[in-house]
Amino acid sequence: MISSPIKRVSALASDYTRGRFGADGKIGVVLKEVPDLTLYQVAAWPDNLATVSAKTAEATGVEAAPGPGRAVWKGNHVLLRVEPLKFWITGIFIPQLPSTEGTVLDLSHSRTHVRVIGPQAQIMLNRYLPLDLRNQSFVPGSVASTAFHHVGITLWRSEVGFELFLPRGFALSLWGLLRQSAAQFGYEVA
Amino acid sequence: MSARRLSHGGRIDRAKTISFDWEGRKLTGYPGDTLASALMAGGQRVIGRSFKYHRPRGIMSAGVEESGAIVTLGDGAWRDPNVKATTQELYDGLVARGQHAWPNLHFDMGGVANFFSRFLPAGFYYKTFMGMPPFEWGSGTGWWMRYEKLIRRAAGMGTASRAPDPDAYEHAHAFCDLLVVGSGPAGLSAALVAAQSGLEVILVEQDFEFGGDLLNQANPESETKRIELLSAIHTAGVRTMSRTTAFGLYENSVAGLVERVTDHLANPADYLPRQRFWTVRSKQTVLATGALERLIAFGNNDRPGIMSANAGRTYLNRYGVLPGENIIVVTNNDSPYQPALELAKAGATVHLIDARTTTPELEKGCGVSVKSESIPIKAHGSKGIRGLESTASEGIQSCDLLLVSGGWSPVVHLLSHRGIKLVWDAQIACFLPGDTDAPIHVAGSAAGIWGSKDCGASGQVAAAKALGQLGHDIKLPTGKISRGSGWDLPIKPLYEIKVPGRKLQSFVDLQHDVTSEDVRLAHREGFQSVEHLKRFTTLGMATDQGKMGNIIGMALMAEALGKNIHDMGTTTFRPPYTPVSLGALGGRHVDSNFRPIRRTPLHDWNLSNGAIMTLAGLWDRPWYFPREGETIEDAYIREATVARKSVGLCDITSLGKIAVQGPDTAEFLNRIYTNPFAKLSIGKARYGIMLRDDGMVMDDGTCWRLTETDYFMTTTTAHAATVMVWLEELLQVRWPDLKVHVTSVSDQWAGCTVAGPNSRAVLEACVTDPTLISNETCPFMGVIETTLTGAIPSRIARISFSGELAFEVYVPSDYGPSMMDLLFNASKPLDGCLYGLEALGTLRIEKGHVTGAELDGRVTIEDAGLGKMASKQKSYIGDVLRKRPVMLDKNRARLVGIFPKDRTQRFNAGTILCKPGAISGFGEGWITGATYSPALGHWIGIGFISGGFESWVGQTVVVADPVRDQNINVEIVLPQMFDPAGKRSHD
Repeated sequence: MISSPIKRVSALASDYTRGRFGADGKIGVVLKEVPDLTLYQVAAWPDNLATVSAKTAEATGVEAAPGPGRAVWKGNHVLLRVEPLKFWITGIFIPQLPSTEGTVLDLSHSRTHVRVIGPQAQIMLNRYLPLDLRNQSFVPGSVASTAFHHVGITLWRSEVGFELFLPRGFALSLWGLLRQSAAQFGYEVA
Repeated sequence: MSARRLSHGGRIDRAKTISFDWEGRKLTGYPGDTLASALMAGGQRVIGRSFKYHRPRGIMSAGVEESGAIVTLGDGAWRDPNVKATTQELYDGLVARGQHAWPNLHFDMGGVANFFSRFLPAGFYYKTFMGMPPFEWGSGTGWWMRYEKLIRRAAGMGTASRAPDPDAYEHAHAFCDLLVVGSGPAGLSAALVAAQSGLEVILVEQDFEFGGDLLNQANPESETKRIELLSAIHTAGVRTMSRTTAFGLYENSVAGLVERVTDHLANPADYLPRQRFWTVRSKQTVLATGALERLIAFGNNDRPGIMSANAGRTYLNRYGVLPGENIIVVTNNDSPYQPALELAKAGATVHLIDARTTTPELEKGCGVSVKSESIPIKAHGSKGIRGLESTASEGIQSCDLLLVSGGWSPVVHLLSHRGIKLVWDAQIACFLPGDTDAPIHVAGSAAGIWGSKDCGASGQVAAAKALGQLGHDIKLPTGKISRGSGWDLPIKPLYEIKVPGRKLQSFVDLQHDVTSEDVRLAHREGFQSVEHLKRFTTLGMATDQGKMGNIIGMALMAEALGKNIHDMGTTTFRPPYTPVSLGALGGRHVDSNFRPIRRTPLHDWNLSNGAIMTLAGLWDRPWYFPREGETIEDAYIREATVARKSVGLCDITSLGKIAVQGPDTAEFLNRIYTNPFAKLSIGKARYGIMLRDDGMVMDDGTCWRLTETDYFMTTTTAHAATVMVWLEELLQVRWPDLKVHVTSVSDQWAGCTVAGPNSRAVLEACVTDPTLISNETCPFMGVIETTLTGAIPSRIARISFSGELAFEVYVPSDYGPSMMDLLFNASKPLDGCLYGLEALGTLRIEKGHVTGAELDGRVTIEDAGLGKMASKQKSYIGDVLRKRPVMLDKNRARLVGIFPKDRTQRFNAGTILCKPGAISGFGEGWITGATYSPALGHWIGIGFISGGFESWVGQTVVVADPVRDQNINVEIVLPQMFDPAGKRSHD
């Protein structure tokens, strides 16, 4: 497990100012970085997907691993099925698996976790994401890999809103775009 | 000018006056006006000059089909040409002027072209200036190229600003069950039925008000109906979008829309985009796009004061402007009778000339006189109509407004975008939508249904069909709605007026000044296809895309060929239906967001330590770290010198990094690298080359074995994504049996190279256990995983790109700045420094190490001087095809180093290597990198030359730099120009 008492420096550090911005008197969107992401990838081999699925579910504390394009969670432990053979688990350290079963990879510093919530969150995200994010189509627990201004990102919908995992190197650039588009709705950086 | 604003009526708000600037003069209008209605109310007749002949043109319509009132809006960077005054909403402070006229609209020197119009027919410029004797004798474009600029300047349509667009634009995506295009009676009815049945509906309307033709009606019942329908669709949850044009329809029910967000606002908020480009994905589409009224080609049918009959009605009923006092209406169908009555009721004298024998009966005393079996011949007047010559009366009948109705053309453009064939309906004289299996349903006038009530009913039918296709159990409304419904009497087709013995200058396409005679000329020239007609005459190629004139052009061509219009067919309409600004297409892909910028975790740290940055691909990387007073050259020479003499630190995070995991990884790597990888030990790294299938070098890099099954691969910055995609493809397509997972970890790790004789000392001061850095525990290509001070996890490999004793140090990205603090502080007592991309290039050129500049996809492993890394003991990707004879040809360009003969001289990358006296073409090779070498004390280069070093030993070669007009004599040396034995990095 990668851990250090040294404070982690966010990719958004230079452009993260809390407050209200954009259209006066309205807060259509709330943007928040969820700091200090803990993110592990667990990848199974085709012939023991069931075993690895069960282990990921057990590690996360959920009843069963989700199917492709879905997420389940318990507390702040979230288990996302990002590819047919790959899971992402947030909020918890995952030990290595026997290599005959699968692989584990620490990706905690590879993504910047941005939460987008508010009454206009879906409309604002659709300024960039070519996905059907309507309530009936992208229900809580949905997971997708998609393109944000040509950058591949992963997002899922939690009970509170949209959770974006932005590649760290592009995060500041994409954060700036989110702020630009959110301004018309009025937004808060929380 | 006799148009005037009425004291009552219309949908304008007379309580507030809007001031605007037209041609430098202050005029006023009201909220609810378009620029055209305000100009008309302000007495302006000449609004623009025509494309080719500079003829005066006025307002000819009240919508997107406008061909005359085309203006330029705004000043400076906001200058926006080719805006249709008929669709531009009026706002306070709007600045507009006519275009294509000098010195002004009323006295235009270019108008002389009109006097020579008979000598300037279709094709004149090409036929005259291409192959012009005696210069080119029938072929060649030399003279055309010389005069094209002048010709285009004489024509053209407005001038765009040269300044960067100051407005913001954005893209957006939307999804729905049903997209309804058009908000007339058909569109509103369709949206209502669908939404009340549970569909999620988006209704788009290009106008700033919903209602379509209901907005143009005089009777209050229409307005009541409009309000009721609007209220009902909002209650039913329809998402409505006004000022939004559906400009294109594409496969899989994708529609392109442009929403004009602030084009109507005097002072828009800075956070609003000017326009928004929508991509809408719907399950079903209803097109209720209406129909456009056609003109008739008679003499001078383009004079200011001539407009479509329905436009006259629109200006009266919607904008409260009586467009003329003494009006003549010419028609061949029923539709202008109601407008004529309403105009008469408003106080105008109205004479109606109908080509048909039987005409609708009007009540006595209605104020409209009707002359049947009569046609217009020629309009009189120049900058405004003053009379009409027709068969209805002797001589010239005076008038100040001429309204024309030559029939109606359904707006079928969006269907045409989808490749749906159009069918000519001779009964109502227009093209109608053909059958289609696509989930598209056409309603209202777009389907050839003219009556308002019937349009509403057809909208309900269209919605019911859409619901049915989505599995809803809906009964289709009963009652047959026939095409042409709404007219009591049939239309009499009338496209052009010809009078034996007289030459009438009648226009078919007013925006491009295409005349009836041009169409006949095309026929005489041998053109028969309607597509060829279009290209020869430019009929239908202007910004209105032939909305008014296409049908007439086809009718004339059909007549010339002795065919029916049905047999002629029509041209294919292509997106966009109306022009889309480049800004909207670009969205937020401008300036710093043209491409997303990629920053390393050390970005802010580099900046705070004085870095000057440069973009390398998408990466924003430190270029050099100047001290006070240093130029870039001073800085990089100092940085490279310090790295050779003491220690330098360089941000290398941009290198591609891939986690390769699984029990079959060794086998996998052994197949993709040219050199052996099966037996790489844990704790060791190896340099490797990957080839493409065709045997060319794809990339080079290192691979570190961390555990039995975990590897850490690095790639060049340039090819990181290419390699990642390649590995995924191999595992998913070719070798799915291998138990290997690959994952990009380029963003997971921040990287720094510590290079120089003192690099070990720096690291020893930073790692928790300094003994791990010794030569014994971390030899050349050794790998260790340890922690830096502060328990920062790290992986370190003794790898050298600089040729010095060097280590690549990686830590999780968020700890990157802390790593740099540690390393930099440790280097300061040793007089170490930070170095950037420029010095990195210097160090690697001195060593002859290749990068993406050399591995450009045309290079074999032998070309790169790395042939010894091609294993003969195993097979690997590219192994077979790299052995093709052409790939092994000894005369191929091979990697070499380059020294100037005169060591005081310098040369540049990108230049060509030539034999002395043979400086031409591609020469013998090229230079990929050049630098001043502090280690050697003169300029050096790296590049490729045919045959490589052995072929040029002792010979003089010329570096030809045609761009700078410099030729330098150089000698070819081995690429390893500094420490060729590698003692500094290995020992």
